[in-house]
Amino acid sequence: MIADVVNDWSRRSNKFERLWLLAKIEFKLRYYENKLGLLWALIKPIMDMCIYYVAFKLIMKSDVPSFASYLFIGLILWNFFIESTAGTVQILNTKKYLYEYSNMNKLEIYVSTLLANSIGFFFNLVMFFLFYNIFENGTEGLSLTNLWIIILFANMFILAMGLSLILSNIFIIAKDITQIWTVFTSFLFFLSPIFYKLSTFKDALPSFEYGNPVAGIIINARRVMMQRSQPDFKLLAFDLGYALLFLALGLLLLNKLGAKAAEKL
Amino acid sequence: MNSNLAIEARNISKTFHITEDSHNTVKHRLFNLFNPPRAKKVEALKPMDFEVKKGECVGLIGRNGCGKSTLTKILAGVYPTDTGTININGSTLLMNLGVGMSHELTARENIYVSASVLGLKIKEIDAIFDKIISFAELEDSIDRKIKFFSSGMQARLAFSIAVNAGADIMFLDEIFAVGDLKFQEKAIKVFESSWIEGKTVVLVSHTMATIEKYCTRTAFMKHGRLEFYGDTAKAIELYMEDNH
Repeated sequence: MIADVVNDWSRRSNKFERLWLLAKIEFKLRYYENKLGLLWALIKPIMDMCIYYVAFKLIMKSDVPSFASYLFIGLILWNFFIESTAGTVQILNTKKYLYEYSNMNKLEIYVSTLLANSIGFFFNLVMFFLFYNIFENGTEGLSLTNLWIIILFANMFILAMGLSLILSNIFIIAKDITQIWTVFTSFLFFLSPIFYKLSTFKDALPSFEYGNPVAGIIINARRVMMQRSQPDFKLLAFDLGYALLFLALGLLLLNKLGAKAAEKL
Repeated sequence: MNSNLAIEARNISKTFHITEDSHNTVKHRLFNLFNPPRAKKVEALKPMDFEVKKGECVGLIGRNGCGKSTLTKILAGVYPTDTGTININGSTLLMNLGVGMSHELTARENIYVSASVLGLKIKEIDAIFDKIISFAELEDSIDRKIKFFSSGMQARLAFSIAVNAGADIMFLDEIFAVGDLKFQEKAIKVFESSWIEGKTVVLVSHTMATIEKYCTRTAFMKHGRLEFYGDTAKAIELYMEDNH
């Protein structure tokens, strides 16, 4: 199936243009429908950041250095994950108009939607760079290790895409997957070191970062962005493994269940 | 696959399982573990072979509920077939009262999205954009969301996109019922002059004059079975008998 897609793409080069067009329109629909525009993409993590900052820094006196930045990088990755999984459960329903009248490959719908989310993520990442290097005191500054974030984000993209495929195809036969995933992700949120200190997290749940790919990616993102160090390669290998596994499962489901989307939804 | 064929279907069939109560949540499935749903089988399409040659205009006729729509959806690659194999050689466009348009998007965005799905590059769409708008007579509503369009305006836009962008293989389901009399005349004129030249077309219609005029071969369907596929005059004769 993947060979088919690649073959098809090289033959008809308008596909890249189409993906970008769909992504741009999706992005515009999400952010430019209201007067605040792109600021909305930034407001969400900043609001979350304020809440956790008050709760953990001011009330519980957390001693994590550069805590605001620590939260910021964790939250923008987490938000991308949520937007791309919980936000796409019903994608085959909302984007039905794209495949109901032609033999367009459904995979393109997923890629373009995740691309739209990526635009939001990179905007926030730029904001993080500015915040960390200008406003935060006593930081390590820019470093070449920052470039690792591209690999880490690619890892997150594949992971989110795999889960998005799995969830949205299950949605065809089980509509309440939406609620189940909402409960599961709020659990996952507290099982990821987004606002805990990393050592506290590791003491409480030994080796758990190998079981939770979102945690692994966030831990590595902080290493490369805030600590001037290389990512933990063992952890990165695990997370890439999870991502590819979910992607394979997702593609399998798209072939089995997704093919019937037009008649079932 | 024979390179002269646009569509080659072997032994395709389709059965819909229609359940009385909706078994589509995990909760419902769990609570009814020992009480499986009563599914009613509807054989929409009985096993058949179907071929369409490149550049040919084929008619598809039959009474309501005979499986015409199901067949076009399978041939267009929108529904998967239950049995057999199907080869589709090119991009397809299925057109009944609308083509795939999102109500949340403006006319401009819909034109770009639909034309791109049909295989055009952005530059090519730029070039035909004004033509699409003027053919649909929507010069004043380019940046309006189409959910605020009247159904006639939506249909005209869809028709205009299909006419100007086109696909390799087009399934046209009662397309001449679009718009007012003036627009219909225009639609027929463009259909006759240039639209379907070099394109593969499957025309679904209840208007026998239309079928007779444009189709080289015609398929007649009855109760999900392909009763006849060949000479148009013969197919129309069978259809007329079936209606009496």
